[in-house]
Amino acid sequence: MVRRRMNQIIIYLLVAIVLIIVLFPIYWMVTLSFKPPLEYISRTPSLFPIKPTLSHYTSLWEHKFIRYLLNTTIISLSATIISLITGFLAAYALVRFKFPAKFDRFFLLWVLVVKMVPPITIAISLYVILRATGLINTRLGLIAVYQVYTLPYCIWMLLGFVRDVPMEVEEAAAIDGASRLRILRSIVLPLVAPGLVATAIFSVIISWNEFIYALLFLRTPSVFTLPIHIATYITEYEVLWGELMGIGLLSSLPILIFSGYVQKHLLRSFAMGLK
Amino acid sequence: MKRFVSRAILFHERYFHFIILLPSLIIIIILTLYPLINVLYLSFYHYSYITGTKYYVGLANFIRIFNDRYFLKGLENTLNFSIFATFFELLAGFGLALLFNIRFRGKKYLLPVVILPMMLSTMVICATWRAMYHYEYGIINYIFRYLGIGDGVKWLMDRNIAMWSVIMVDIWQLTPFAFLIILAGLQSIPDELHEAARVDGAGAAQVFRHITLPLLKPHILMVVLLRTIDTLKIFDKVYALTGGGPGTATVTMSYYIYREGFTYFNLGRASAASVIMFVVVAIVSSLYIGYVIRGQARG
Repeated sequence: MVRRRMNQIIIYLLVAIVLIIVLFPIYWMVTLSFKPPLEYISRTPSLFPIKPTLSHYTSLWEHKFIRYLLNTTIISLSATIISLITGFLAAYALVRFKFPAKFDRFFLLWVLVVKMVPPITIAISLYVILRATGLINTRLGLIAVYQVYTLPYCIWMLLGFVRDVPMEVEEAAAIDGASRLRILRSIVLPLVAPGLVATAIFSVIISWNEFIYALLFLRTPSVFTLPIHIATYITEYEVLWGELMGIGLLSSLPILIFSGYVQKHLLRSFAMGLK
Repeated sequence: MKRFVSRAILFHERYFHFIILLPSLIIIIILTLYPLINVLYLSFYHYSYITGTKYYVGLANFIRIFNDRYFLKGLENTLNFSIFATFFELLAGFGLALLFNIRFRGKKYLLPVVILPMMLSTMVICATWRAMYHYEYGIINYIFRYLGIGDGVKWLMDRNIAMWSVIMVDIWQLTPFAFLIILAGLQSIPDELHEAARVDGAGAAQVFRHITLPLLKPHILMVVLLRTIDTLKIFDKVYALTGGGPGTATVTMSYYIYREGFTYFNLGRASAASVIMFVVVAIVSSLYIGYVIRGQARG
């Protein structure tokens, strides 16, 4: 009995240590965003803001936070919608049909290879393409380039979801004379809908947090996304932490809300190499 | 007319799967296959975007790179980063998974909290850690001074420590990734197996070594491969935390390509470095892809 008690105490102690390690940096970000500069530029920092202030948040508006938020939203949603539609069609074709000369296997293999390719290694070519098409330094260009991340991801995720749709339902509809497109639209699509939502959320998170391509292909602040805005802040202002943490916190909130919702799909997406 | 229509429909029905695969196929070819071939092609050229000069140089770019101390340092740093980050993430993730495999109250609510770091943007994380690492005003050095351990550490400014500081951030952010995979592995082991071993008189350590560990092998392998592949690409943390410095202490392969290609616009040399990096990553990736294909074939 005593031993069991001891075990319980040890477990909770370990859990507490884990929680402190995980949560402290996040807590520190929140605290710094409410501290006046005199409190965070100090050799004896306090655990709580002594005189909490909202001044960093109000000055965010002057720094056009909304513009970066809007850019990020437009880019990540558009990239996701494109990948979701094309990826769903591709996944359906690959699961339900036979292609000649094992073309489907090769295609999937290539998609998997793409997930492994370091983004910087094809950046030079993408830069040349974007320059040639006049899409460099535009949101549209970044949306196009983000397909490198989101499309392979969507195809692999949706492959699993489409496989789960029972064949019999589709066959019954085909016997009743429904066209392929009709079957796809009114039978497969509703059944895959939950999978589409989960896939979409992950795809949005990937593009929301993406850094390298945004850094390389966007040059003027008017088209910047949040990660680039944060990076500029880090490198230009050494210790303007209050505003920086405010930006960080606000730009993380949408992701955190969504991530709670798709947790059970997390493992499935790892196998496909989300990170 | 009627006959023509039905034929059109027939064509449509027959090639339906090609038609719906086409958009993805086109996007993938333009954005990945063509760029890879183009990078390989450019690696044999001297190509400067600033002066606009472009001419064939054979293997000169590669020879130049392999004699470039900056690149060699980058290669060494990348391998170090990859090995140590992967190792510690696996270790910490394993420990965490063992802890979360025990029944205790409130576990259900703690799981989403523990995986929080993984969902945050790397830039947000780097901003926070930069503030914590700061030599004068950072909380970590404050704690060190408070406990009387020296006068603080130059976390990002000391050439012997900077890389470890970057690794530390990666461990903090991505241990949850290893944790989730190992935890799923632990939960897939049936309880009866452990009980049977216990009944046969095996101690906890023996059960772990002879039953748990062998059964977790695929999960461990997956963590090691996926984390190795991902850490070989390391760029964003280096960019935001140290900028490759101090000196060359935290330069990585990706950072080298970034510098050559996008600050000096030496597209030829950057392409050659890209090819080398691609080969390095491809070696590890092929292990993973082979593993995935075997898994698919099995079920």
